[in-house]
Amino acid sequence: MTQVVSSSRRPASEPRRRATATAARRGSNAVDAGRKRLLVPFVGPAFLLYTLLFVGPAVYAVWISLNNWSGAGPMEFVGLDNYVRLFSDKLFVQSFQNTLLLLFLVGLAIFVIAFGLTLVLRDMTGRKVARSVIFFPHLVNAMIFGVLAGFIFNPGGLVNSLLAGLGVDEPPEWLTQDNLFPLIMVMMTWITTGYFTTILMAGVDRIPPYYYEDCALAGANAFQRLRHVILPLTWDVFGTCAVLWTISSVKIFEIIWVFGGSTGQGMPPTQTWTTAVYTYVTAFSGESVPAYGAATASAVLSLAVVSVLVLLLRRVMKREAVEF
Amino acid sequence: MAKIRSLAALVAGGALAVSVSACSAPGEGPGDSLTYWSMWKEGEAQQKIVAAAIADFEEETGITVDVQWQGRDNIKKVIPTLNTHSVPDLVDGSFAKLAPVLAETGQAKPLSDAYATEVEDETVADLIPDGYLDDGGLTVDGADAPWMVPYSLTSDAIWFNGAEHPELVEDPPATWDEFLGTLDELKESGQAPIGIDGDVSGYNAYWYTAAIVRISGPGALQEMAADKSGEAWGSPEALEAAELVQQLVDGGYFVDGYDASKWPAQQQGWAGNKSALLFNGTWIPTETGPYAADGFEYSSFPFPRVGDGPFAQRADFVGFAVPSKAENSDAAQQFAAYFLSKEYQDALGEDAKIIPVRADAPVSPEMGSVKEALDSAEGYFQQNDGISFPGYNEKLLWPAVDRLVLGKSTAQEFVDAMQAGQADYWKQNS
Repeated sequence: MTQVVSSSRRPASEPRRRATATAARRGSNAVDAGRKRLLVPFVGPAFLLYTLLFVGPAVYAVWISLNNWSGAGPMEFVGLDNYVRLFSDKLFVQSFQNTLLLLFLVGLAIFVIAFGLTLVLRDMTGRKVARSVIFFPHLVNAMIFGVLAGFIFNPGGLVNSLLAGLGVDEPPEWLTQDNLFPLIMVMMTWITTGYFTTILMAGVDRIPPYYYEDCALAGANAFQRLRHVILPLTWDVFGTCAVLWTISSVKIFEIIWVFGGSTGQGMPPTQTWTTAVYTYVTAFSGESVPAYGAATASAVLSLAVVSVLVLLLRRVMKREAVEF
Repeated sequence: MAKIRSLAALVAGGALAVSVSACSAPGEGPGDSLTYWSMWKEGEAQQKIVAAAIADFEEETGITVDVQWQGRDNIKKVIPTLNTHSVPDLVDGSFAKLAPVLAETGQAKPLSDAYATEVEDETVADLIPDGYLDDGGLTVDGADAPWMVPYSLTSDAIWFNGAEHPELVEDPPATWDEFLGTLDELKESGQAPIGIDGDVSGYNAYWYTAAIVRISGPGALQEMAADKSGEAWGSPEALEAAELVQQLVDGGYFVDGYDASKWPAQQQGWAGNKSALLFNGTWIPTETGPYAADGFEYSSFPFPRVGDGPFAQRADFVGFAVPSKAENSDAAQQFAAYFLSKEYQDALGEDAKIIPVRADAPVSPEMGSVKEALDSAEGYFQQNDGISFPGYNEKLLWPAVDRLVLGKSTAQEFVDAMQAGQADYWKQNS
């Protein structure tokens, strides 16, 4: 990170009187004291709302996950049963695997491509235009791509019409249940790459040109330049991107919901389910008694997984920030 | 201490906001108003009829109806209110959506008053055909009145274009063998026999549900699903029904690409005469109308007979229910009964082109053959044969039926998968 402007804060326990007394002599302390006084009114509302709207419901969700509950009527306390059942449910395990595939496989693809693009785009003419173009898919709601896929890949759709024009008589059946998830992974990579390319490029752009000049003088080749200049100086940006992707990938829902062909009709085939879809179906399937206990157990588990992964990631990616 | 004062003000403000929002749902006073969360959206044909009925009802009784046109998700929105005292007084929806949320969780009021109300000199109990009340599962065990007042129903049928296939209008296949014969003839003529959107699991399941109900009667599938050991799937009937579906797959009767397309591609294709038959609900004429080929005439015949099983028809009720905590239950039941007046029933049939619940209400020409089948049915069943065990359809039955209909498993593999899967399911859900 760039240099952080750190103020010399006084310990909170120090009596305010002294702070005010010394304020006359040292101007910064008046600011400090003012800051301390305003801490509660400024942080308080946010803290209160956050507790009320997020922490409270989250704790309540944990409680629900320990019960059998259909959303109304009595709750039946079952302890950790809902969690035990999740792991013996093949469908949940499969959904969980899909989530991990999105997280790691798609994540890897995104970062390799995004980083490659960053290196190419750095020296390219017209890179601002190119940057906007690759960022564009991220601006569009993922659902649109899910619906669009139906038109493009339907048996009589665009892709097959083009293939027929090229003389392919028996084109692949793109939208069969088993092909859907790979297609979703490709689509996710395509949608998200531009977003992370933009963030990575901001990091790379920040590197002062004299490092490159230095490299040129030292006779470093492109790989050495990458290894010794670009990577170390953008490492923290990578770390942040990895955390962002981890969090968003576990929540992927809408593109699967419509990609599976359920634009208003039923739900996607189980082969494409992620834990988010599993959770939703369990709670809101609409045509069977809602199982809120099992659904919240699945949601709480997802939250726990994200938390652990983020902690691990931060540990693995931890480096001394290079200041420049 | 300004700090504490301002914090206290904040907390008080927040609490006020929460309580105000919680209080805004119900009607003002008991008796003279009711809150109704409707499954219809403004502009829909059904909505216009309900709105007209509300206007007449308000004028005649002086009761104010506070209606919210919420659309099909209205029942999902009702769930969170069931734990509060601000439930809507009246909701409507399909049986499949209302039953799991209200009836099976004990949150639906038995509607004795509504059923005893006289509408045009007949009680509601007399206006609704007996067959529906006997077979429909409308009464919770032990309750003294049904929890739902149906005002219309959806059914299913095998639809076709009567203008293209007058021979099917004249002489529709009545038995399974005749049906296979028809399919072969269609195939020889060069037209794909059956259009089906294979990506919609619910539609795929129609085939198996209809087959097993034909063989073993209404409620048979639900009974099999309730078997904790899963061994009910080892019965010859379960296998026979699956084999019927497999015949359709093996015979190549389903339209090309049905396993790799996205709804509504195939039903639109069917409306454009790309395939001949479509086994689907009574909403099909309305839903595919805009895409239909010139001169398309909606005709249908019921799923053919198999063996000697009863000739039951699917009757999914759409109607009113009153949550047990409703404050204005009397007014709500009064309106539910009022909506069964002939005027609105006729309008549902003629304007909205759906099937009204009253036997004496006319239907549009498209629904003629369905209505005939319903009137002469030897029993009734619900979508998925009324199964509503948590997640059973979505996580077990539909994925397995999908594989069968999409040709990825044989009839034997299907029943084996259901047997093992169901044993697992009940281990987890009992």
